Amino acid sequence: MINYIYNIPLAIGSNVINLFAHIGKISIFFYEIIFCTFTLPLYFKTFFNQVIKIGYNSLPVIGLTAFFTGSVLALQIYVGSSRFNAESIVASIVALGITRELGPVIAGLMLAGRVSASISAEIATMKVTEQLDALTTLSTNPIRYLVVPRVLAALLTLPILVLIADIIGIMGGFVVGTQSLGFIEQSYIKNTFDIIQLNDVISGLIKAAVFGFIVAFMGCYHGYNSTGGAQGVGRSTTKAVVSASILILASNYILTSLVFNS
Amino acid sequence: MTDLILKIEKLHKSFGEKVILNDFNINITRNTSQVIIGGSGTGKSVLLKCILGLIEPEQGIISYNNTPLNRDTRKEINFYDEIGMLFQGAALFDSLTVWENITFAIKSKRKSDLREIALDKIHKVGLDSTVLDLYPSELSGGMQKRVALARAIAKDPQLLFFDEPTTGLDPIMADVINNLINEIIDQVGATAITITHDMESAKKIADKISMLYKGSIIWSGDPGEIECSNNPYVDQFINGRSEGPIKINIKD
Ligand SMILES: Nc1ncnc2c1ncn2[C@@H]1O[C@H](COP(=O)(O)OP(=O)(O)O)[C@@H](O)[C@H]1O
Ligand SMILES: [Mg+2]
Repeated sequence: MINYIYNIPLAIGSNVINLFAHIGKISIFFYEIIFCTFTLPLYFKTFFNQVIKIGYNSLPVIGLTAFFTGSVLALQIYVGSSRFNAESIVASIVALGITRELGPVIAGLMLAGRVSASISAEIATMKVTEQLDALTTLSTNPIRYLVVPRVLAALLTLPILVLIADIIGIMGGFVVGTQSLGFIEQSYIKNTFDIIQLNDVISGLIKAAVFGFIVAFMGCYHGYNSTGGAQGVGRSTTKAVVSASILILASNYILTSLVFNS
Repeated sequence: MTDLILKIEKLHKSFGEKVILNDFNINITRNTSQVIIGGSGTGKSVLLKCILGLIEPEQGIISYNNTPLNRDTRKEINFYDEIGMLFQGAALFDSLTVWENITFAIKSKRKSDLREIALDKIHKVGLDSTVLDLYPSELSGGMQKRVALARAIAKDPQLLFFDEPTTGLDPIMADVINNLINEIIDQVGATAITITHDMESAKKIADKISMLYKGSIIWSGDPGEIECSNNPYVDQFINGRSEGPIKINIKD
């Protein structure tokens, strides 16, 4: 019993210290990435490979999820709006919901699963097998060589992916709306374009850039700090996906409430 | 004038409560082959990583050609361009082919020149051009070690580090690697620091052997002297006895 009483402040204390140590480590990592991004050399070949791996290869997954999200959104809004006899609002809400919210968030979360995981597994494996150390002894800064191309690639390609997801998602809503909910094609399209403003799309794309950064940063950070062999690789992968997903949702709320609230 | 390439003074390194290096000192003369022996987990790899700047020691001075090494000076003197390191597990880059691995650190050259260099180095380690376009996963363990050796010598370094070069290899392959190391030191005139627990290999490649125990050097001498060192720790280690002053802590 006495032990428990002593253990509580001890646990709180060590967790607080851990938290600060973590924040410190993340800040240093962040600073090094920024420094390496704005100084030469940049590894263009690796960057280009990562654009293919992160961007191009994610197209099918993101396209499919966007399509189904747009479709189900149309169905659900139809159910809700028909209770107020306001069915004509379906096209507008699908368009706004996809471009402002669901396009970037769904694409970000899919990328967190696909890309954070693979980045962190790759870098953690390189750490376990001393390849990171080998890079240093071969006059190459591992952050410059591995992390910067991945972060830049994710940050620049996710907005493009989201733009595509927006189009496919709205098309998903259009298909369901006209094929099973009985909307007329011309008026559905007109309602969509009447409501959407450039701001809606741009706010989604800026969110996408932030999410892209989070995805690659978390993958690299957890891979880089992985310890304890093969098990550690698995642990760091899980941590990367979980932390990237949570950060995406949290930063989405913050961005929406502070910046994109009009 | 004593021609020291590397001088380590009062090096301390611990992980948490666990003291790994404790008042470690060594002088390494240019163009010699220094072997450091010691049991598993005594901190041999940690020592190399401290010298290479991969681990930050708590205390101590490591001087290379009279320059004390730290993050800044390593950059100023282009330390990494003058050294080569062979990692325990080869540490080849999985995503690159053999020739790309070997020439990784050589910047601003045309591809045909790089392949030429890779070919030269791959011959030096006793392989031929057929491996140049393979990936590390397509090579056996012994071949990976040899490719890693080729990568370590790609820039004709002044100072070479070998972390357990023969561990995990069959005796014949181990001997091949030993001969390669000797040849490279003789041909290039480089200095080599090898850490190992393989006594056969140590005797074969060393000009000087030192034994690491409990964080510092407890004995140094020529390979010929080690049999009659009159040091109970050294005797126990080279004869591989479990009885003696070195206590193995099973829990470690
Ligand atoms: N990064 C690290 N963090 C914590 N402990 C470490 C780390 N690296 C090595 N150690 C510990 O230091 C000791 C010496 O390791 P090492 O130098 O690899 O031994 P060896 O002599 O076999 O090469 C081991 O007990 C190991 O657990
Ligand atoms: Mg070791």
